[in-house]
Amino acid sequence: MKRKIVSDIKGTRILVVSFILGTLVICMAFGFENEPQPVAQLKTPVKKDSIASVKAFQQVYRVLMSPRCMNCHPSGDIPLQGDDSHLHDMFPKRGVEGKGLLAMKCTNCHQPENTKGLHAPPGNPNWHLPPANMKMVFQGKTARQLAKQLVDPTQNGNKNMKMLIAHADDDLVKWGWAPGDGRTLPPLSHAEFKKQWLIWLNTGAYAPKK
Amino acid sequence: MIKLNINQKAHEIDADPEMPLLWAIRDLVGLTGTKYGCGVAQCGACVVHLDGEAVRSCVTKLKRAQGKQITTIEGLSENNDHPLQLAWNEVSVPQCGYCHSGQIMSAAVLLKEKPNPTDEDIDNAMAGNLCRCGTYPRIRQAIHMAAEMQKKGGV
Amino acid sequence: MSNSEVSRRDFLRVAGLAGTALCLGFYFPSNAEEAAIVNTSGSAAADFEMNPWIHININGKVTLFNHRAEMGQGSYQSVPQIIAEELEVDLKDIDVASAIGHKKYGNQITGGSSTIRSSYKNLLKLSATARVMLISVAATKWAVPQAECYAQSGHVFHKPTNRKFHYGELVEEATKLPAPKDVVLKKTSEYKLIRKPLKRLDTPMKTNGTAIFGIDKTLPGMLYAVVERNPRLRGTVKSFDDTAAMRVPGVKKIFKVKMLVFKTYREGVVVVATSTWAAMQGKKALKVEWDDTGFEHISTPLIYSRQMEMLKTSEGLFLSKQGNPDETIAQSANALDVVYQTPYQSHTPIEPVNCVAHYQADKLEIWGPIQAPDMVQDYLSAELKMPREKIIVHMTFLGGGFGRKAFMDYPHEAAIISREMGVPIQVIWSREDDITQGPHRPGISYRCQGAVENGMVTALKFRMCGQNNDHWMRGTKSNKANGSTSEGFLKPYYESIKNISFAEVQFETPMPTMWWRSVYASTNGFAYESFMDELALKAGKDPLALRRENLKDERSQKLIDRMEEVSGWKKRKKNEGFGVAITECFASTVGQIVKVSKDGNGKIKIDQVWAVMDCGWYVNPDIIKAQVEGSIVMALGAATLHEITFSDGLVQQRNFYDYKMPRITDIPPIDVYIMENEADAGGVGEPGLPAFAPALTNAIFDLTGKRIRKLPFDLKAV
Repeated sequence: MKRKIVSDIKGTRILVVSFILGTLVICMAFGFENEPQPVAQLKTPVKKDSIASVKAFQQVYRVLMSPRCMNCHPSGDIPLQGDDSHLHDMFPKRGVEGKGLLAMKCTNCHQPENTKGLHAPPGNPNWHLPPANMKMVFQGKTARQLAKQLVDPTQNGNKNMKMLIAHADDDLVKWGWAPGDGRTLPPLSHAEFKKQWLIWLNTGAYAPKK
Repeated sequence: MIKLNINQKAHEIDADPEMPLLWAIRDLVGLTGTKYGCGVAQCGACVVHLDGEAVRSCVTKLKRAQGKQITTIEGLSENNDHPLQLAWNEVSVPQCGYCHSGQIMSAAVLLKEKPNPTDEDIDNAMAGNLCRCGTYPRIRQAIHMAAEMQKKGGV
Repeated sequence: MSNSEVSRRDFLRVAGLAGTALCLGFYFPSNAEEAAIVNTSGSAAADFEMNPWIHININGKVTLFNHRAEMGQGSYQSVPQIIAEELEVDLKDIDVASAIGHKKYGNQITGGSSTIRSSYKNLLKLSATARVMLISVAATKWAVPQAECYAQSGHVFHKPTNRKFHYGELVEEATKLPAPKDVVLKKTSEYKLIRKPLKRLDTPMKTNGTAIFGIDKTLPGMLYAVVERNPRLRGTVKSFDDTAAMRVPGVKKIFKVKMLVFKTYREGVVVVATSTWAAMQGKKALKVEWDDTGFEHISTPLIYSRQMEMLKTSEGLFLSKQGNPDETIAQSANALDVVYQTPYQSHTPIEPVNCVAHYQADKLEIWGPIQAPDMVQDYLSAELKMPREKIIVHMTFLGGGFGRKAFMDYPHEAAIISREMGVPIQVIWSREDDITQGPHRPGISYRCQGAVENGMVTALKFRMCGQNNDHWMRGTKSNKANGSTSEGFLKPYYESIKNISFAEVQFETPMPTMWWRSVYASTNGFAYESFMDELALKAGKDPLALRRENLKDERSQKLIDRMEEVSGWKKRKKNEGFGVAITECFASTVGQIVKVSKDGNGKIKIDQVWAVMDCGWYVNPDIIKAQVEGSIVMALGAATLHEITFSDGLVQQRNFYDYKMPRITDIPPIDVYIMENEADAGGVGEPGLPAFAPALTNAIFDLTGKRIRKLPFDLKAV
């Protein structure tokens, strides 16, 4: 069976995103420290509403910091594991592509689907961590830091607005809501998460004060 | 019928595609060098190579393994002379020996990708293989020795 | 080398060569320690009781019937190494066949680190006897004095003329000779093989998948069985629904079974299928309603609080006593009274227990990873009402044992399932079965009291409160203390400390317990040697100096010299913690020194372990080093990573994700040293374990001032 490898299209993403990079950096520099601020000048038309945007992001943040999302966005190079987000047993490392190293590649244990049973490896055809050159860390980030990071293509996997919107329906993201036996779900349903994600983005992707 | 290519030999077996490769290899094909230890990818006793990667056969289903090159410990070398096998013998690594099929299969991927592994590389490759007899210091020693042999012998 | 099995029929086929093979065996007159050596060549076929231990054929090939299990400890290497030395053959010319369980081999349990220490003198004598017989045949043939002949590499040479005979050429004549008595054995200085770090003979089989472990055994027509056992260990089956399970492809039959737990029973439902996986799928689909009436739903906190309560009030059953520790402690202004606690543990050999049985009308044949074939015969003979000699038990390689595989439950399961099915059966336990069902090492609380006067330890009073393994083995409670519950203590302390007592405060739970590598010493050592450290502090003494003062015999002094020398104890630096512990079990003493420091994050890091083993006479230094390394790794796991806990009568751990094992990343450098002396051989497989935990916690105390009195503890949380 051929597994689809999403990261293969990364190359094209870099082209798409690189041209908006300059504008983003400029916009971010204008932010006021203690005010909600639009962290991105997005190409899609948006109705700016800092209050609604921040409110939506607070909900999004709860999901992203839940173990199902954060465990694969660790601050170090070892993924986290379990509802208590402990360091993954046997200490597998990220590797250059985020797919593990040597005899401990992610897919050596993680199958294209969840393995049945408590504590058996969860799975997805695209199981991986962010790559070494763009670690997209969630762990330890405040809501403000994470919001800024998410819309910064130099930190978000080179995603533009369209890609960010589409990311809510990414197969690996959606795995979070079908994580296999014994794993708690994120605090919002996927539909609710997607709704809040889109509100956040479409109202200007404002970052909370903290 | 499921077609498996194990150690360069074609096998056709009548089994559920959901069956883990481990049990097909052991109970249906009859190659018993690959071991059961935990059934949930925790111990590494069941490691085989699937297209050159050190997969855990206890959670790898037949439907994933079909059409790929499977190598078990029995197929690692013709005459028990892979540098790792020679080094394992030289250092007398195994005690009970049960986990070592998996240890060697994991180490083989390490050596293929890092012909001169550092201690850190060994940690990164081998931390997923448990040994209850505690042969870890010798595993480390033997991997370094095998790397040397590989260099000298050009194996 | 091959690990061929020898069934009774195979054996008789071998014995059919009696006319042309020299067969020597032991005869144990009334189980005497010292065996008589007999030439069984002529009688083997006729008298099964007189099987040979070694068999030399006309090609000079030597077959050794290894009476003990090979579970990693190296009997497969060390026993041939002994034989080859005195027989003067090359190691490669010895084939090892696993002997079956039989009374003629005496006690066969592979436990108590006894393989070598219980048999080496007999093995040396047996091999030397064979050599002398072959030399005598050669001398007769050449008509020269025996003194002019010598044996080497499977040949007898006539020194003056350089003539030689191959052993095979001498075998036929030798079979007609009586076994000579009182042959002269080599001196240690004359050894060519013994005490050399020869490579293990079983390694090649263990690197290419050809070694046959119990789980690898197959027979034609064999089916696979897994059992859903009552999770409360000794409950019964109220009812079960197998509708869904029977629909799983490959499942053949599902039925209730009643299985041995030592001398009591547990009930379960067995699923028999065409593959292990099919059986496991069937088990998952099974619905069983359990009845655990009368089974106490015990929990771990309750176990320890009960033990603490009992230690407050009960003096227990005295194991030994000298002087008057109570009075000395009562009158001392420098008395200590502390409690140490150690956890229940699972053996978790990586090969879970499994067994193949073929029950036939007139006999039962068993193949499996079995530590005690003779005990399996005893139990099954009684349970199945079958004559002992009709039960043939073959030992395969064991994928680890550590005590678990000296237990008779899994051969019993295989036997009764095969009896029901009428075909050979392999029963396999899942890892979850292994961890949840036990039996486990008992969890123990120790009350340790002592007194110090003028810098000297004047009294020790130890009371342990924990389950008694003997009660499970016997099936009944006894009012006698279990002698092994004070294992680990160093006997020379009795010479220097005038007042000492040991007592066992009896304690029961419904959880079956069993020997675990180094048995009670594995936990006693932590209490005794931590307490010795606390007394050293009280006495104002260096911990190693306190031991030197109190262990006055020559062997202990030399051991301590060596420990001090290899570890640089006296040169230790301020930011390093050094801890020492010395324990004795199974006739060997091991001293360990652990060095710890803090890493960049302030977490404790183990920098080095030095272990010094005094096991007296020994065979292979490399195997000893390997056993001590392995013991330390196992002790590290038991001290810092895992424990078995109970809640509501259920074991809470299930697999390696919650019963965590040490990994290659956890292992500090370990240096092992062996003392050279001529004392009788001691054990090797277990004595390296007990000293590690106290040496580690003593080192942590040395570095941080924090005393750890309960195992396991989290190294990162200290």
